[in-house]
Amino acid sequence: MNSVEKNSNETAVVVQDLERRFGSFIAVNRVSFEVKKGEIFGFLGPNGAGKSTTIRMLIGVLAPTDGVGTVAGFDIRTQAEEIKKHIGYMSQKFSLYDDLTVSENIDFYSGIYRIDPARKKARKEWVIEMAGLEHHRHSRTAILSGGWKQRLALGCAILHEPPVIFLDEPTSGVDPVSRRQFWDLIYELSGKGVTVFVTTHYMDEAEYCDRLGLIYRGELIAAGTPETLKTELMQEDVLEVICERPQDAMGEIEQIEGIKEVALFGKGLHVVVEETERAVAAISDLLQRRGYAVTRVEGIVPSLEDVFVSLIEARDRAEQPQQEVKR
Amino acid sequence: MFERIKHMLIKEFIQIFRDPKMKGVIFLMPVIQVLVFGYAVTTDVKHVATAVYDQDNSPASRELVSRFAGTEYFDVAEYIYHEGRVTELLDHGKVRAIIRIREGYGDDLRAGKTPQLQVIVDGTDSNTAGTVLDYTTDITREYSKQVLSRRYARLQGQPVDPPRVVLDTRPWFNANLESRNFYVPGVIAIIVMLITLMLTSMAVVREKEIGTMEQIMVTPITPAEFILGKTVPFALIGIADVILVTVVGVFWFEVPIRGNLALLFLATGFYLMTTLGVGLLISTVSDTQQQAMMSTFFFYFPAVLLSGFMFPIANMPESVQWLTYLNPLRYFLVVVRGIFLKGIGPLILWPQMAALLVMGLITLWFASKRFKKTSV
Amino acid sequence: MKLYRTWAVARKEYLHIIRDPRSLGMGIVIPVILLLLFGYALSLDVDNVPTVVWDQSESQVSRDFLSGFQGSPYFSIVKFVHGYGEVDRAINSAEALAALIIPRDFAQLIEAGRAAPVQLIVDGSDSDTADTAIGYAETVAQSFSQQVAVREVQRKTGRTLDLPLDYRPRTWYNEDMESKNYIVPGLIAVIMMVIAALLTSLTIAREWERGTMEQLISTPVKGPELILGKLFPYFTIGMFDVLLAVLMGEFLFDVPLRGSVPLLFGMAAVFLVGALSLGILISVVTKSQLLASQLAMVLTFLPSFLLSGFMYAISNMPQPIQIITYVIPATYFVSLLKGIYLKGVGLEVMAIQAGLLGAFGVVMVILANDKFKKKLE
Repeated sequence: MNSVEKNSNETAVVVQDLERRFGSFIAVNRVSFEVKKGEIFGFLGPNGAGKSTTIRMLIGVLAPTDGVGTVAGFDIRTQAEEIKKHIGYMSQKFSLYDDLTVSENIDFYSGIYRIDPARKKARKEWVIEMAGLEHHRHSRTAILSGGWKQRLALGCAILHEPPVIFLDEPTSGVDPVSRRQFWDLIYELSGKGVTVFVTTHYMDEAEYCDRLGLIYRGELIAAGTPETLKTELMQEDVLEVICERPQDAMGEIEQIEGIKEVALFGKGLHVVVEETERAVAAISDLLQRRGYAVTRVEGIVPSLEDVFVSLIEARDRAEQPQQEVKR
Repeated sequence: MFERIKHMLIKEFIQIFRDPKMKGVIFLMPVIQVLVFGYAVTTDVKHVATAVYDQDNSPASRELVSRFAGTEYFDVAEYIYHEGRVTELLDHGKVRAIIRIREGYGDDLRAGKTPQLQVIVDGTDSNTAGTVLDYTTDITREYSKQVLSRRYARLQGQPVDPPRVVLDTRPWFNANLESRNFYVPGVIAIIVMLITLMLTSMAVVREKEIGTMEQIMVTPITPAEFILGKTVPFALIGIADVILVTVVGVFWFEVPIRGNLALLFLATGFYLMTTLGVGLLISTVSDTQQQAMMSTFFFYFPAVLLSGFMFPIANMPESVQWLTYLNPLRYFLVVVRGIFLKGIGPLILWPQMAALLVMGLITLWFASKRFKKTSV
Repeated sequence: MKLYRTWAVARKEYLHIIRDPRSLGMGIVIPVILLLLFGYALSLDVDNVPTVVWDQSESQVSRDFLSGFQGSPYFSIVKFVHGYGEVDRAINSAEALAALIIPRDFAQLIEAGRAAPVQLIVDGSDSDTADTAIGYAETVAQSFSQQVAVREVQRKTGRTLDLPLDYRPRTWYNEDMESKNYIVPGLIAVIMMVIAALLTSLTIAREWERGTMEQLISTPVKGPELILGKLFPYFTIGMFDVLLAVLMGEFLFDVPLRGSVPLLFGMAAVFLVGALSLGILISVVTKSQLLASQLAMVLTFLPSFLLSGFMYAISNMPQPIQIITYVIPATYFVSLLKGIYLKGVGLEVMAIQAGLLGAFGVVMVILANDKFKKKLE
């Protein structure tokens, strides 16, 4: 408790042993982490891992079963209403009113958040410009495309310029260009000192974050900067192999001893191995003997996806060793 | 085809009964309605709270009062002694009738004159008031008949009965004239209409509103299969409710069933075709569940009020009477009451049955035609 | 509680209503249809009961007797028949609701100064109409009997016989005993419940179903602000419906309005707040539109239609049902409405009803607020 309060000067979000059960199902299991002010914190995990449940507890709409935490300096258990004044929240569903126009949706939320009348117009124009909806301010929200709705929803959620914003899979179902633009916006906000807490399952988006937390089956299994995760948390090494007929080569490489996993990756293969040097030699040797023209075999920094998959598999192995089936 | 319909049905039933409260609504609401109609909707007037303002206070006036108080229709709640109390009691609604006998009543009566008897009735509820007036008329006439025969006997010098007409009343089909016997069979018709209309119209619109409709429409399901999947569950629920209400009516309220049960179910089937057809039609013209609900009521209110369920059709203006011919409920009520109370069969009921079948076919055909246009 | 947030919600709700003109239109048209139907088309007054007659006597006396029925507005003799089979057919096919069978020796019995039996068969399946028809027939028969008796005395003794009683029935408040005067005031209560059931019971459930509620509860808006904001636009529609009903009652149906008009509207406002809050409470508790719509029927509309004394007098109901009617707020409102309309009385007489109505409003508002949780389950 004390550590939670002490840190609230530099941190935007602190949680300790946060837990939520639905009946006998544990959706979030004793999760602890911190998010510093101004940071973009990415919350990663497969569907159903507990991302949304965690976010809902942080924004004060779902009571935790156990554990403590603060958001923007307010206790998530007792000061939910204070929290709501200091955060913005946008969910994957873009929950705007379909039958209201762009302008009316903004007006509604600026009424709810009580935007100072003097700033109201400016904020509204900012949202409309930010979302690129200058020509659609009087259109019903129902007819807008996904990217527009998403930016409008973000705009409505941050009309009151909250210091912390929570985005729950904000880019699901949005085209790559819109996603790019959306992240530019997030950077802009973060540049102004806004703390952004974002959940996603896009690996490329994870790379944009300052720090990441990885949640799996309700438990936080890793946390750190993308760099730390990639270099420190991966127990195995990753090799990149570029050669002819990678699909056939895959089968050959899998036979070598000490090879954990082979996967197609772009034009080549990613091979997870226990030890780089020995494996490079073994693979080059084998492929040359079998007549594959090899362009490259070398150790690389693993991608987040590699780390992610390897951490999850390690977790699964630890929990259910008897069920593991080796390929 | 049957495989797909089967899965549609399973899905619908899962959705309807997912929420345990919904089960309560579907199976409890009809029972509550029968109980309410069976007990509350009674136009049998008895034990009317009555005040007596007897200014004469003679043996003769007391005898007259006892004629009222002795029946089960009037309960003397208060004897009053001044004029102001009359207004007070009626304004507060404490009594609904006041019997006022003026001073000199007994003397006039003995002298063979015509004394006055005043009865004041609270007319705010005009039906009850009408019935109360009927009772008072009956009682005073009976009383005057006796006085008359006494006078007559005195003139003749010997006791005789004056000539008179005696009504020998025989209510058919419902010997004790219980309003319950009249309403309970009708409740079947209105409950089934409400439940099937509302469930059908909202269930389709719900899919539109949530967006699952689009998903279903891109599967190989044909509109006919979809419509069947959307109507059969509600038809089954409708029939289950008919059985439920019938059981409550027969075993709890002891409403007689004199006719053929098979005919009742056949007619219910025809009738359900019309309600499901209208329900589907509503769903094709509604985009939100709110609209569907409103449209349901837009149809339901006039259908119930203009069916003869509570208000006799014969009392309606002629133009409105013509309108009732378009109302499936009108026909079904005749059939249900005919089967329950009169025990009559297809020989008499065939025009109503035919009307229901034709209307059912037309609404279903029209609904599915519109449905294809709007959804594909 | 902040007024500006309440206002923001109210304005949004108002836009939803405007955007769905059909629902709004029906919120106004349905009450109008109800008023028109009850005002013009529907009546519980029984008249022109179709009757068949089998006059086996075919005498002057029997024709005199029947003229009592022919002259009555309550009976309409549709056919003279000759045989029991025809009577049977006429009643079974509902061609006639009543049949009079006059015996062969009717005239002889009357002339001999004896009792003459006349059989009256009624279709009892519609017990109300049957009951009323029997009452009318009794009256006709008794007045005929009296005339015959008086004539008989005159013929035999040469002296006139005074009628023993001058019976003077009077009806207060609704002198002509028109059922529209009795139904239209009560209908206002029913209409308000319809508005509550149809319009408000879905508003919160809809936001849960569509997911907009999750967004809304993540904002600082408070439960009472949200609920009051949602109440306000529907309150306006409801009051508009009341105004419409009062105007139609006054100018179209000539229902006498004897009491205070401000009191009428004041009480309507109090009742409306309670009714709408009940609608919202249903919406809050169910979170599903399908369920909310069904529950609204059972909890708002049916009781106000059947158990409030709107059409069926509470004092005629069995004791346990009468107790239930005490917890139905529409009961108090209906009796207030009838008091104001027909009796012209005010709060001095109906303070208890008004107080209970106020209590209902307060309890509903508190319950709706209390049950609304800004939390997910």
